[in-house]
Amino acid sequence: MIRIAAVGDVHMDEDVVGRFRPALDELPDCADVLLLAGDLTRHGTEAEARCVAREFGGLGVPVLTVLGNHDHQSDQVPQVVKVLEDAGIRVLEGEGTVLEFPGGRLGVAGVKGFGGGFAGRCASDFGEPEMKAFVRTTNESARALEAALRGLDCDLLVALTHYSPVPDTLAGEPLEIYPFLGSYQLGQAIDSTPTALALHGHAHAGSERGTTPGGVRVRNVAHPVIKQAYSIFHLGDHLDASEVSGIGHSGIQQSWS
Amino acid sequence: MSEFRDSATGAPPDEYVEAEIHRLLAEDPAVAEQGITVVRRERGLVLYGEVESPHRREEILRRVAERFPDVPVTSDIGVIRAQAPTEVEQLP
Repeated sequence: MIRIAAVGDVHMDEDVVGRFRPALDELPDCADVLLLAGDLTRHGTEAEARCVAREFGGLGVPVLTVLGNHDHQSDQVPQVVKVLEDAGIRVLEGEGTVLEFPGGRLGVAGVKGFGGGFAGRCASDFGEPEMKAFVRTTNESARALEAALRGLDCDLLVALTHYSPVPDTLAGEPLEIYPFLGSYQLGQAIDSTPTALALHGHAHAGSERGTTPGGVRVRNVAHPVIKQAYSIFHLGDHLDASEVSGIGHSGIQQSWS
Repeated sequence: MSEFRDSATGAPPDEYVEAEIHRLLAEDPAVAEQGITVVRRERGLVLYGEVESPHRREEILRRVAERFPDVPVTSDIGVIRAQAPTEVEQLP
């Protein structure tokens, strides 16, 4: 079994540093890894990223994240990524990583994702350059997610995005803004690979649970949705000893102690 | 761009005020909240949603009151709890 803690949309700044820390200090006892679903900051500044690093760095479990739209607001993405990575927080954008745990090898692939809407009610790659650029951004992000998912050799595969891959977990948001909250292409990418779980944030008024058309479970872990410091998911009970590959396999895996 | 105003009261129609407040909450750097809902009620506008700190909640009301001093606005914005979970979800 692998234990995954996850939260998104924590929107850190000086005024909230320390709020999550008491709950985060319990993490090593209850989770193998923490996944952050983007919108770590309010405006995507380097200073706010340092708040994220203080709050979510040095937790005793590996921390993986994608960025969200807020983290792009100040056009300081390289600085934000550097501050996070210096604090040991791995930022995924069109890439993945495999972590080895006693319960098996967990593969996590991540992209921010983008909007566009859902099947039958979505934007098309047609018309004005601005519209085509919008949809092509979505398509490229979904392609990057699919490639990252496919590239991982692991026992359990998790997709991490900021934007939603399904409309299910947007329930509670106004229908009119669904195209700004996610896109079906992300779901299609997830369904084209043997993904076990998809985690996202972004939809503050959405709901927790959904599934892709292919049956992959989707969880909206935006902080205003889960209303706790993080949610914990237990996966991979079916992985008996024979299915779990031996530790120490060469390749892109990283070992965490 | 010219602003449309009600000929009797001189005030902009509520729907445009609602739209402006909604955009202000996202675009004002002092707020930067996309998850706040603005609802029109008989007695004025009500703001719903959840933020990460009491300071941010106060800032939202301060900025809206500053920009629209004549619009009655009340807030039902909550601060999101950040305690450790008490249950886990078992997935297949």
